[in-house]
Amino acid sequence: MANGIALTGNSSFFREKVLLGMGWGEYLRSLLTPANAVAAVILAVGIPLLAYRFAAGLGATTALSQAYPWGIWIGFDMMTGIVLAAGGFTIGASVQLLGLKDFHGIERSAILTAFLGYVMAVIGLLADLGRPWNIVQAVFSFGSASPLFEVAWCVMCYTTVLLLEFTVPFFEWLGWRKLHAVLKKMLIALTVLSVVFSTMHQSALGSLFLLAPTKLHPLWYSPFIFIFFFISAILAGISMAVIESSISHKVFARQLVGKHVDVDALVCGLGKAGAVVAFAYFFIKLQGVIDGHAWGHLATGWGALFLVETVGLVLVPSLLFAWGARHREPRAVKVAAVLAVGGIILNRLNVAVIAMNWTNPIRYVPSWMEVWVSLTLVTLGVVAFRWIVNRMPIIREDSAFPQEH
Amino acid sequence: MTSDFLAIYPAKLMEYGLAITYLLLFIPMWRYVQGGQKVLAVQPVQGRHDAERWPAVAVAAPWPSLGWFQVPAGVALHPGHTWARLEADGLVSVGVDDFAQRLVAPSTVELPQTGAVVTQGEAAVAIGDGRHSVPLVSPVNGTVVAVNRAVAEDPNLLQNAYGTGWLFKVKAPRLEADQRQLLHAQAARHFLDGEAEALAMRASPEVGQVLQDGGAPVHGLARVLAGDDGWEALAREFFHTEKGTP
Repeated sequence: MANGIALTGNSSFFREKVLLGMGWGEYLRSLLTPANAVAAVILAVGIPLLAYRFAAGLGATTALSQAYPWGIWIGFDMMTGIVLAAGGFTIGASVQLLGLKDFHGIERSAILTAFLGYVMAVIGLLADLGRPWNIVQAVFSFGSASPLFEVAWCVMCYTTVLLLEFTVPFFEWLGWRKLHAVLKKMLIALTVLSVVFSTMHQSALGSLFLLAPTKLHPLWYSPFIFIFFFISAILAGISMAVIESSISHKVFARQLVGKHVDVDALVCGLGKAGAVVAFAYFFIKLQGVIDGHAWGHLATGWGALFLVETVGLVLVPSLLFAWGARHREPRAVKVAAVLAVGGIILNRLNVAVIAMNWTNPIRYVPSWMEVWVSLTLVTLGVVAFRWIVNRMPIIREDSAFPQEH
Repeated sequence: MTSDFLAIYPAKLMEYGLAITYLLLFIPMWRYVQGGQKVLAVQPVQGRHDAERWPAVAVAAPWPSLGWFQVPAGVALHPGHTWARLEADGLVSVGVDDFAQRLVAPSTVELPQTGAVVTQGEAAVAIGDGRHSVPLVSPVNGTVVAVNRAVAEDPNLLQNAYGTGWLFKVKAPRLEADQRQLLHAQAARHFLDGEAEALAMRASPEVGQVLQDGGAPVHGLARVLAGDDGWEALAREFFHTEKGTP
């Protein structure tokens, strides 16, 4: 009898919290949407592919070779996934440390995006490592002069910090007041740690390329590449916050019925920051070209690619951000953000894959399985984000846990 | 490779040149990015006004205040007990706050003329009991474009100080600067709580405001405290319009 009561209690909790108040049949029917069908197809192929990679090895699944040990699982999943997760520390620091409370409404979604981005990047990394179980060696090797050592520690520490930051809405969802109160008090300390770890991590990913001054094309290689990585991470964080908050507030609009959320004002505020950061980043990139005496390459095909990346996808978005922020045109700011994110993705792919080994006559072209696994990880991230936002107080506020602004 | 045709000195020259170019270009860039808001503060068309500092246009429910006197969200207070609120049409509504109307319980209201220029911190309206009249200052600079005649005819409307009791509307060209002198949100509530405390000290100087002081103070408290002839001086003190001040 006691069991029966416990079961009833559990099932109603499960039904309310997980099935959104629906019965199993109704819930499963609600999942039949075109977007879910596409996601299901991607995952149905991608997850077995991931299993196949671990069973059959890298040689069977990727186009990697001794000359090209890093493919898109590093260039896209890791490098791009991490830089696009920079919104977590950018927005977190703006709200918690700089006191810009206006951005409070997008702080949680930025942190969730960062958390999921890191988790997906870690899965991608594990898939890319030849012997992933040896990753523990990175922790205990204490090779303190190695950028990879710094990267490994930062990934682990920052993912943990993001997990702890995420537990605040998670405990609100579960209704665990005591733990929630403890974590909520820790939030400022966690934000400080997140700035420390992600700053180190973003720049350490750039430091990795200090080992390859001759392999990386001179237009992209610079002894200051870790600074480029850090500043572009801030730009990525701001741009992702613009894109992600605009999409979220549209897709999850019904969570905000009756609430006044001026997303346009937030977007324009972010546009101001984006304009200034992108402007500075553009000039610093040029400085790198001069410092590396690489201007001769600007007239080549590589130069065209570089100019597309820096002028087309950094300087142009900077000016567009500025125009949109000044004239309060959120659409312009959103377009600028999409361009800027495109520029940063292109930058990471250029540095890690395209302009790497640029003198090598044999080019690396990823296998279809590599592309599909990357697509699978992105899909997993989006599905997880939607699953969580539909249940936990990420965009909406939980009335039982009022938040001070 | 052509990339090596320049020696270190020309390269350094280019680096310094680029750095200086960046700094010189950054100034107009910064001014351009920051510039938009000032224009908006003057003409906040289509309701896209400065939502950060003036969060709500409609008269919202009063903040839960610990004290006797209320101030709703979106209303900024002047220490002289007048308020200002940016409306969706870009004009600024002005009135006297809850404290002022409860202190005086006016039976007469004097309003400025349409077209008059009001200055922040200088007398713009007056409230009184028929025998005496006390001026109150304008919270913002600007030109009066509308006045609420209904309040002059029926001063009881002032009991809804932030709603039907608005006094006049101004076109405020320097609102951004004006509002720095005003009290917003939490600061406004603290201010009113402090004024309530000061008023309580007048009523019972030994103990000030105590727990037993439940309920709102009576209307026309100034007359209760200072009498028919002394209330004017008391009110002027709170409204910062003492006689002899400029």
